[in-house]
Amino acid sequence: MSITRFNNKDQNIIELEDVSIVRDSNTVIRDASCCIPRNQLTFIVGENGSGKTSMVSSILGLLDISSGRITYNSSTDKELVIGYVPQKVEFPEHFQLTVTEYLKYSAHISKHDLSAVLERVDFPESHLKQRITELSGGQMQKLLLAAELARNPDILFLDEPLSNIDQGSGKHIIDVIMEIKDQGVTIVLISHDWQLVSSCADCVICLSCTSSPNCPCKNSLSEGNRELLQITSHNEHVTHEGYCYVQNL
Amino acid sequence: MEEIFQLVSFPFMQRAFISCIILSVLLGLLGTFIVPRKMAFMADGITHASLLGIALGLLLGVFPLALALTIAIITGAIVAALRNNPRITLDGLIGILLVTGMSSAIIIFALTPGYKPELFSYLFGSVVATTWVDVYVICGLAVITLPLIKYFWRSLVLTTVHEQLSRVMNLPAHTANYFLYIFTAITLVTGVKLLGIILVSGLLIIPVLSANLITNSLRKAVIVTITLAILGSIVGLIMSFIFDLPSGPCIALTLVVLLLGCFVVNTLIRMTKTSA
Repeated sequence: MSITRFNNKDQNIIELEDVSIVRDSNTVIRDASCCIPRNQLTFIVGENGSGKTSMVSSILGLLDISSGRITYNSSTDKELVIGYVPQKVEFPEHFQLTVTEYLKYSAHISKHDLSAVLERVDFPESHLKQRITELSGGQMQKLLLAAELARNPDILFLDEPLSNIDQGSGKHIIDVIMEIKDQGVTIVLISHDWQLVSSCADCVICLSCTSSPNCPCKNSLSEGNRELLQITSHNEHVTHEGYCYVQNL
Repeated sequence: MEEIFQLVSFPFMQRAFISCIILSVLLGLLGTFIVPRKMAFMADGITHASLLGIALGLLLGVFPLALALTIAIITGAIVAALRNNPRITLDGLIGILLVTGMSSAIIIFALTPGYKPELFSYLFGSVVATTWVDVYVICGLAVITLPLIKYFWRSLVLTTVHEQLSRVMNLPAHTANYFLYIFTAITLVTGVKLLGIILVSGLLIIPVLSANLITNSLRKAVIVTITLAILGSIVGLIMSFIFDLPSGPCIALTLVVLLLGCFVVNTLIRMTKTSA
């Protein structure tokens, strides 16, 4: 098993070095270091309140870090195209935007390409003229995913992508995610579903205290993998309490 | 009918019609994004706060609308900057600005000697108050604002839908928001002479709500909003002239009648769908 090192632009698409995040005067993440390997499926897991959303928000540029550095390594001359599908979206009630219009504005999808884009995520074409405020939670997530995929992202963040979706559609969504990963897109998922983690993950970033009895990694990973839990820094002699990072399950 | 056509021959009515049509287009477009963001109260807050500028202008003998515009721009910028501040609610902030502006204005009026007849027209609007200078200002505003609306259109749509997603897409979300709030403030204040401080926000809010009752896409909603705004303001102006009433209330009530009409249409459509 290889261990990812920092300052490896070929291997890592995003690197976090000693990142601390403060929200409302509370330190939610302190001196965390980890990497998101390129072209792989990374899960970010952790207990409630461990800072998963804060970490992802910082990477997405929605939240400032109080210290440390986040490095983005594009494989081309252009900036990274980052896609993001949040867990829950509340669209404004009095905004008359249809599904077709949302796809047009968010991803410049023309009417000719609509069918192919929506078929990819199993979104029914019969809802094309429906307002986005009238969609169910699951339909909304599929729509958001369709729009983000159509933008051809280099890296795609998904927050609990299966939380509002039925089992049949959920399997289809996982197949789509694996397919785009094979096409070279780096995927990052936030999920509490350990069955999904163990079946799909290439690596896991766990934001829980390693000494905590509730750390999900302890019960869900093999002995061999757990030995790697201590190594979170580019300095292999330093062990970080509180954050563990596992490479290549 | 002949009398109505004669109206157009009067220069003051020509100025009023031109101003109303342009303001209807601008406020219709801006209101499309303001109302869904639940910022309609902001419109009221800004125009009431701008009364301070008018009071200072009348006191100092300076063009009142220039000072009112300054206050409106500052108010719009404050709202844009503090909109997402967790320590203060948005409606609370707008309430503070409204109360500060109006209270200061009323105190200035109380301390200013003499009767101020133009105050009534600033509060409630007047068909005859609009000068050709006002029309040129409104036209100039349109020349600047319309291309900017076109430029920021995609950002405005996506920041209204979900601001975080628009920022992840690297859209100029902050700039688009500042543009929206500041130019809405400027446009509202520019319409104060015709519609009055108390009621100008009606032209921003009511046509959008009416259009939402009878349309089901953004494109149709924008077209219907602007059409209703123009129709309401022209009919209101005509009523104001015929019955010698302040223009602001006449336009506002006409818009309300149109809103009720859209509500009836909406109800009939839903009844038809239910029975089918």
